[in-house]
Parts: sequence; structure tokens; C-alpha cells
Amino acid sequence: MDGEQSLTEKYELFGCIQCGRCSAGCPISLNSALNIRKLIREVTVHQVLEPIYEQGELWDCTTCSICSLRCPRGLKPHEVLISIRSILAEEGNVPATVRDALEETFKHGNPYGQIRSKRFEWATDLKIKNFSQGDRAEILYFVGCAPSYDPRLQEVSRALVKTFTQAEVNFGILGNEENCCGNEIRRMGEEGLFEMLRADNIKLFHNHEIRHIVTTSSHCYNTFKNEYKDDSFKAEHYTIFVAELIQKGKLSFSKEIKKVVTYQDPCFLGKQNGVYEEPRFILRSIPGITFVDFERCRERSLCCEGGGGRMWIDASDSGQRLGEVRIREAIALGAEIIATACPFCLLNLEDAVTTIGLADKIQVRDIIELVAEAI
Amino acid sequence: MGRIFVLIEHRKGAIRDITWEMLIKGRELALRSGGELTALLLGYQIRNLAEKLVQRADEVLVVEDEKLSNFNGEIYQRVLSKLISEYKPALTLIGHTSFGMELAGQLELPITTDCIDLCLENGALKAVRQMYTGKVNAEISFIGAPSYIVTVRPDVFPAEGQQTGRGEIKYLSLPIEEIKYKKFIEYIEPAVGEVDITRADILVSVGQGIGDKKNISMIAELSELMGGVLACSRPIVDKKWLPKERQVGLSGKTVKPKLYLAIGISGAFQHISQIKGGHIIAINKDPRAPIFGVADYGIVEDLFKIVPVLTSKLKEIKAG
Amino acid sequence: MDIIVCVKRVPDTAGATIEIADDARRIREDGLVFDMNDCDKYAVEEAVGLKKKYGGSVTAIALGTEDVEDILRMCFVTGCDEGIRLTDKAFQGSDAVTIARILHRLIQSMKFDLILTGAQATDDGYGQVGSALAELMGISHATLVIGIEILDGKARVHRELEGGMEEVVEIRLPAVLTIQTGINIPRYVSIRALMKVAQKEIKVLDLKGLGMREEEVGESGSNTSIERLFLPPLTKEMEILPSDPGEAATRVVKILKDKGGLV
Repeated sequence: MDGEQSLTEKYELFGCIQCGRCSAGCPISLNSALNIRKLIREVTVHQVLEPIYEQGELWDCTTCSICSLRCPRGLKPHEVLISIRSILAEEGNVPATVRDALEETFKHGNPYGQIRSKRFEWATDLKIKNFSQGDRAEILYFVGCAPSYDPRLQEVSRALVKTFTQAEVNFGILGNEENCCGNEIRRMGEEGLFEMLRADNIKLFHNHEIRHIVTTSSHCYNTFKNEYKDDSFKAEHYTIFVAELIQKGKLSFSKEIKKVVTYQDPCFLGKQNGVYEEPRFILRSIPGITFVDFERCRERSLCCEGGGGRMWIDASDSGQRLGEVRIREAIALGAEIIATACPFCLLNLEDAVTTIGLADKIQVRDIIELVAEAI
Repeated sequence: MGRIFVLIEHRKGAIRDITWEMLIKGRELALRSGGELTALLLGYQIRNLAEKLVQRADEVLVVEDEKLSNFNGEIYQRVLSKLISEYKPALTLIGHTSFGMELAGQLELPITTDCIDLCLENGALKAVRQMYTGKVNAEISFIGAPSYIVTVRPDVFPAEGQQTGRGEIKYLSLPIEEIKYKKFIEYIEPAVGEVDITRADILVSVGQGIGDKKNISMIAELSELMGGVLACSRPIVDKKWLPKERQVGLSGKTVKPKLYLAIGISGAFQHISQIKGGHIIAINKDPRAPIFGVADYGIVEDLFKIVPVLTSKLKEIKAG
Repeated sequence: MDIIVCVKRVPDTAGATIEIADDARRIREDGLVFDMNDCDKYAVEEAVGLKKKYGGSVTAIALGTEDVEDILRMCFVTGCDEGIRLTDKAFQGSDAVTIARILHRLIQSMKFDLILTGAQATDDGYGQVGSALAELMGISHATLVIGIEILDGKARVHRELEGGMEEVVEIRLPAVLTIQTGINIPRYVSIRALMKVAQKEIKVLDLKGLGMREEEVGESGSNTSIERLFLPPLTKEMEILPSDPGEAATRVVKILKDKGGLV
């Protein structure tokens, strides 16, 4: 079944000392049957891995990577799990909703099954340079699937455009040529489709002579920076770029936002890529904001349950959603706004606010929405 | 010359609605062609059904035999074929239904299926049918032939009209071969679930446009605020996002609400044909979605933009 | 059990706005994405499921140009053993019965217990090919199948009727069954798996290879043809409500109060 290298060999699992630091840090372990320490042991010990593949809880993992960060032996348990998913995906053995997301991405370039010709509709009234129409610019603003099609997230994209325009950034978008970045596709196990997206996107970037990409989403940033392995372009999350704009005096604020604001470090920006200071710098630069950090912040930030394909998975875990836990933490801090820098965090946290019924107590905003409001 | 045949569709002792629709259309065609309208009734212990047809046709040909007691496409096809070759109608109408689809494979005469309009002029037939899930209409022409067969889409032609039949009933005795290789076993009634959408005055119905199972809760919330019942189209049930008892459609339930809010439903005929009466409000991003052809009110916009605002408005009203 | 499954490549029309080509006899395909017909996916999954249970082989057949081989490779991944593509310019304009004749010409020399097709296709929607094929072959058929049980030389088959009702029939094999959606859960076909079958042979046959003549196929061989395509007229007077969410919501609430009432 495993063919070439076994999982044990590939991920050097004999190095695992079963200390349990991985599962102790796993955010979903309280609600899910998934036990990553046990999974590693099972993979290492058993010759026949099929029974492991039957475990539905394999699809609960958000690939936040805290297990790998905590491992004292430098092993990568979450990558082992992704590899197991890729074995399952190759033989078509994925949950039906994952199947649909993957098929839609293959057909339409996004996991939402939205038509490609409508990808750019959110920006038709904005004057933005469009690489697919032959325009050229210094920066590619890579919007992403969710921020293109989801009406709530389109507000984030528009805020980013407003900010860039104000700062006179020379940027353009790919319009309807933009494709899924593949970050979640890979984590749902579809390696083949990920490789296809990567190849197509790199070709697109080369054709349009793109050297610098700025993304809305932490997920797109993560995969461009770490998994695309192409030197011809530099990828940055917008918080890095916008922080620099502020530092260089290209962006100044004329209005106040007099609110107590806390910040949810997205897993794919924070713990996976070490970007902690820039988002905080931006928030602290906005006049009027009283910034307060969660106790569990930075590397210890609580995963919103949006990564690892979870936005398309009917998870088997029960109990309170982590988003709800986070909202309550924010309210306990006295925060009026919980800011974030990732579309999935935003959607999941807003969902939680609606579910608990606390929309009058706390708002969820993307950092760039606050920036756009204050400039 | 110009005789029109209508194959009567009935099940478990009741004549199905498509039959009345075909008889009205058949009458119109018969008037134009100067021929008789003949109803074909095949079955067993169906004399009472024959009586019901007399006012709608010039002639009711009844073939009664125990072998016809439950629908069997093979037997029906052979009987129909015999009747056609004997009576030589210009056109035979069959419903495009689970009954009619079993008969659509016949090869003797030119045939097309699922027609929404028909025109028979001087023995030449033209039909209109739909393609691409209702987004395109097609005009079909036929090779010249003395007789044609079409299957007719239900709920397109009116069921009410002038009753102008002469109504002669003729009982035919035809030798019916025993068909040993296709046997009716039984009917299975649909399971009675917890929810009965057929009783609801207000239905809030969700279709494929909802995108994700997770988003259905948003529609369920809206439905509750509106005092309605949540319903859906077939793809939602196929994906197992909602149970079959909530499906509005040919293979689901027929509903008669006062108000039907269709959210992210494209409007495939199998779905919309089962919404009888009431007012339909449709929300769909695609301005050419077939649902807009039957809706009373249309909002051409992304449902994810409309539904949250509608929901909060209703909450406001409830609160204050 | 040796099973033949007939599959079709169709445009994905959900959400897409369809335009009619200038000649008004076909639609414009630029910008459209293609996929295997929905019902056919269920048919392929069912065929492979039956093979797994009873042994035997599954052969997939499709009509069309080279593009159609993508669909046949999806069949390989799902578990079909053979794939055959029938292609010829002369096939253009064939109606459903003629398509069935083309398939029949190939299948008549094959050994099989069961032929599965989709109940209908989302492009032309005739729903006829399966039953016409059965007629040509002189075997039984059942349409709108949502459940199959194989008995000795027979199949007990559940058909989907209107209103959620089912009809159970027993049919002698060999037979043609046209499959309705919902009979099973089609699995995902992965890119890697498709790559692994990229080189698998697909037998290709044209008009000559089937021993057919031009007069038997295409428009000339068909009893019906498409004269013209046109967009469905809006028959009902629909009131268009404002697209602005706030205004739309206000109107909907008013309609709700007027027509249905608010709880």
C-alpha cells in the first residue's frame, strides 16, 4: 500500500519517544477521538495500516502544526497525518464534502464551486490593474478563493484595495485567471491536484513576470512561501507589507477607532510562519485602539478549526467549538473587537459570535478592515 | 386520419394528473388535425377509470387483462404497438414520467421525449423540449412519417379545459403474451418522517447554491424566523445534507404553500413543477436561472448577501 | 458479472449562464467546464460495486472526440477494466435512438450480464438511450433504478417513482438498467490516480471500425433533429425586487406579511 518509502521511514518515526507533548497541545483533542501520539505509535508499530485509514477522526485535524512545534525530537506528526490523508485521497476514499471541494477546485479553480467568470465580480466597480488583461504592476495582490467569492470576505478584499490605493501601491490582480493556491487542497490529501495547481500558478506568475505577491490569506501566504519552492517571486502576507507601508510613512491614519481590540494569531501566519509582530504593530499604529493580547497568544494561539480542510469537513468532534471558546476569552478580556488576519479565522469566529448570540458584545474584523476605516 | 392517441397513466386505482393535461392538449391537436381523440386505457379492473374519461375523449379503448394489473413496460409496449398499427394514429402522447420513460425505447416510430410544446400541421410534427437543465429550449423536427410518439412533460399543459368528448367506450380483447422476464413485485410507499412539508403554509427551500452543508443552518434559522418549514431540492438530499422528507420535487413531495422562498435553487423543472399555487420568491445569482421563469418575485443577487440581512431584519421585528 | 457502462461527457451547467451559438443549433462552449454526466457517475460506481461483490469485469464506453478519454480514465480509476471510445465526425447530430444504434453495433459482439447507463443526461435530457439500446438488443430494461440486488440469472431492482414511492421489479439478465442519482455515493477520482492510468489503453473505433455506414448515423440517420435552440422566454410576470440586501429584506418582509403572515 505504501509503495516506495514507508511512512515510518519517511518521517523517521522510530525517533518518537511517545512523550505525548504533541497530543497534549492538540487543540481538538478535547472534542475529538483523534490522538496524534497514539496515531504515530500505530503507524510505527503496525505493518498493515488499513485499520488506521478507517478512522474518521483523521479528518478532524486542522493541521495547525502545534504537535510538530512541540515535538522535542523535531518530528512532524501533522505531516504524517497529511500523508495518510494523501494515501486515502489517492484511492478516492475521502468524505463526500471533501470530494466535492476537490472536484470543484479541479473544474472551477476554487473549492466553492463558483464559476470562474464571476471570481472578479467583487471588484468590477473598482479600478484595479488586471494582469490577465495585459496590465503590469510591481505587486500581485493574490486575493484567494474565499475572499473573492464570500460576500463577508469581499469586504476584506475591498478594504485591502482601498489601503493599497491610498498608499499608492503599484499593484494588480489576476482577475479571473486566479486559481486556488492549493494550501487546503494539499492538506485534504490531494497531492496530485496540489502539484497541478502549483505548476499552473507558477507558470501564470512567470508569464506575467510577477516578482512580489501579497496575499489576503495566511493560508495562501503559507503555501506560496513554503511549498511552492520557486525563487522567482517573493510572497508576503499583507500584514508584513502593510506594516512596512506604515513604517515608511506611506500610510497614515486620519481617524480614530476607540475600541479595545484583541488579536487572534492565525495558525498559518503565527505558529507556522513566525509572523507575530507585524499584525500587532499595525493595530497599535491605529489611533484610539487599546490593544490587549490573549493569554494564549502567539505560538499558543488557539486554532479556530478552519485549517486542514475543515471548512469542508463535517467533523466528527463534538462539544464546544474552539471559536466559541475564543470569543468568550475575548469578552473576558474586555475586548470589543477581535481582530484577525485570516479569512477562515474571521468566518469561524463570526460564526461563533452568531451561535452564542453575542453580536452586540463583540465584533470580528480583519485587521485590514480596521486599517481601511482609519486611513 | 389525424387521430390522436393518449396513453392513460394510472397507478393504484387513480388516474394521474399528466393524463388530464395530455387529453386537453390532445383535444387541441385533434381539432387541428381533424381527427379523433382516443384515450388508451390498459389495466385490470379499470372500468371505473374508463367512465371518468368519457367526457374528455371521443373514444376510450380499454384493454383489460389480469396480466396488465400492474404496470409492466414490456407488456404495455407490445399492446401499444398493436393498437398503433391497427388504428394508425397520427400521434401518440405518453407522459414523461417514471411510467412513460419505460416506454420511450420503442424503435418503430419517430419519437422524442419530454416535450413542452407540440404542433401537428398537415401530418408534420414539430416539438419543443428543453435542454441543459432547463436553460435552453430546442425546436425538434421529425422525419416525415405517418405516425409519431412523444412523451409529454407533466405540469406544462393545463389540466382544465373544454370537455368535448363523445366518450364511446370500447372494450378490446387482445391476446396478451405472458412476459416471463420482467415481473412486477411490489410498490414501496415512502417512509413517513417527522416533518410534513406538504402541510406547511410557508416553505423556505434551499438548493445547490447553498454550497456547503454548514450553511444550511443559516437557512434553517431564517425558516424558523419566518414561521416556515425548511425544504430543499433534490441535490441536497442526494448529498445527504437534509433528509428526503424535506425534498420538493418529482421524486420527492408536491407542495401547496402560500409562500415559497426558493434560495439558491436553479429551478429545474422536476423541482418547480411540484410547487402548486402560492407565491414564489426566488433568490439566485444567475439572472437566467429557470426559477425566475416561474417566480412571482425575484432577487438576482448572491443569497449570502441577502439571507443574513433578511434574517437580522426578522430578528429586529421579533424583538421590537 | 460482466458489466458494460455507458458514460457521457457533458458541460457543467450549474451556475453557468448558457449562450446559444450563432448557428442556433448548439450552445457556445467557451468558458464551460466539462465533467462526466451526474447519473453516469452513479452508474459507474454501481457497476464497480457489483463487480467487487460478484467478480467479473466492467467495460466503459463513451462517444466523442479525444476529450472524452478524460471521462474514460475516471472510469478506470473507479475500477473499470476496459475503456472504449467510439468516434466519428459522422456521429454529429445523432439523436438518442441513433446513439443507441451506434452503441448497439459495438455491444452486440460483446459478452455481458448487465448494461448500465445514466437515467438521463444533463445536456440533452432525452432519457432514451438506455431503453432504446435494450430494444435493439432484444433484452429487458428498467429505468430510474435506485437499488439493485442480483439473484440467480435475475436482478431485483428498485425504481424511483414520483412522490418518493418505489416500484420493485424482477428482471431477467442480461438487461439494461438506467441509473438514477442517489443510488450510492460515488467516490473521488484523484489526480494521482488519473495519472497512473494515463497510459492505459483505450480502444478507439470509428464508423468503419463499427461496420456502419454514414446514412445510418448523424442527422441523416436520425428520425429527429434539432432545428434551432433558443432561450426560454419568461412566461410569467415576475416582479424584480431590489438587489440591495436592506431594501430586498424590507420587501420580502412585506410580502411575507401580506401573503403568508409572520409567526
